[in-house]
Amino acid sequence: MPDGTPSPGEAARASAVRPFLVTSGRVADGGSGRALPVETQVVTTSGGLDALDGLSFERHDIVAACRLPQSLAELAARLRLHLNVVRVLAEDLREAGQLAVHVPDAAITHDASVLRRVIAGLRAIPDSRKVPSDSD
Amino acid sequence: MTPTEAPTRDAYAAPAAPPLPVKMVIAGGFGVGKTTTVGSISEIEPLTTEASITEVAAGVDDLTHTPGKTTTTVAMDFGCVTIDPTLKLYLFGTPGQERFGFMWDDLVEGAVGALVIVDTRRLDDCFAAVDYFEHRGIPFAVAVNAFDGRVEHPLDEVRWALDVSEGVPLVVFDARERGSVRDALLTVLELALSRTGG
Repeated sequence: MPDGTPSPGEAARASAVRPFLVTSGRVADGGSGRALPVETQVVTTSGGLDALDGLSFERHDIVAACRLPQSLAELAARLRLHLNVVRVLAEDLREAGQLAVHVPDAAITHDASVLRRVIAGLRAIPDSRKVPSDSD
Repeated sequence: MTPTEAPTRDAYAAPAAPPLPVKMVIAGGFGVGKTTTVGSISEIEPLTTEASITEVAAGVDDLTHTPGKTTTTVAMDFGCVTIDPTLKLYLFGTPGQERFGFMWDDLVEGAVGALVIVDTRRLDDCFAAVDYFEHRGIPFAVAVNAFDGRVEHPLDEVRWALDVSEGVPLVVFDARERGSVRDALLTVLELALSRTGG
């Protein structure tokens, strides 16, 4: 991944064009196994809030949206950004101290105590019927 | 795209710690009911994000003979269930593609388990998913989606046709029923739990 964060001006121009221009052509390579997991939680830092007014377009939107913690996938869906664009920008914003990126630790999420809590939580969900809406 | 109105700083003076995300994957062929399954139990309407899959040319086994890989943008649907403020279950539907790309590794990495949804009228559609999770060693269950409450074939025939081991749970469920989806997911989670020795 080449270095070089675009200046705010560059990002501002790029946002209207192709998605990966906002990342200066950088991609989060899902094939490398090093891309941030889709469920990675991101949350704005106080530094991010301080910098919010000076951020442009996608970076601004991400830092603004992440005042509520959410996953990269939710962020991408809500901002209608390509997942890999969000991955790259989240890394940038983390380096800038504007976003906290909580990469899930598989050793924790796979722990028996965590699985038992998920099981107990799901069991508490009542039955109900929903209208069919298949679209996949 | 417009950010919501900025709340006061004080409201975020102590930002809430994000929940621990636990991921499950909902797999299966195109149109088998993955999004319906996610939607039946998710606390939010399923969201869609565009992601890339990198795929090699179909039918080419020797990668050295593949001049280049193709990157395709696919839609991925997902939803979530908040277990408690510190724990959140995410359900990710695999892109409804017959071909296999690295997107699956990207998506599946770290998942606690998978539910492979099957339509018994189109069993072939799930072979790729079954193979994938077997090879990755990821706990999974096969869930036969009972369209209109009916299953066309007895479960033992389905198991034989899919050639899955006895250790792989095989259940019938209705993707439209929250309780049914819940129970199918529990099957996977209990399998995952048993693998921890817990």
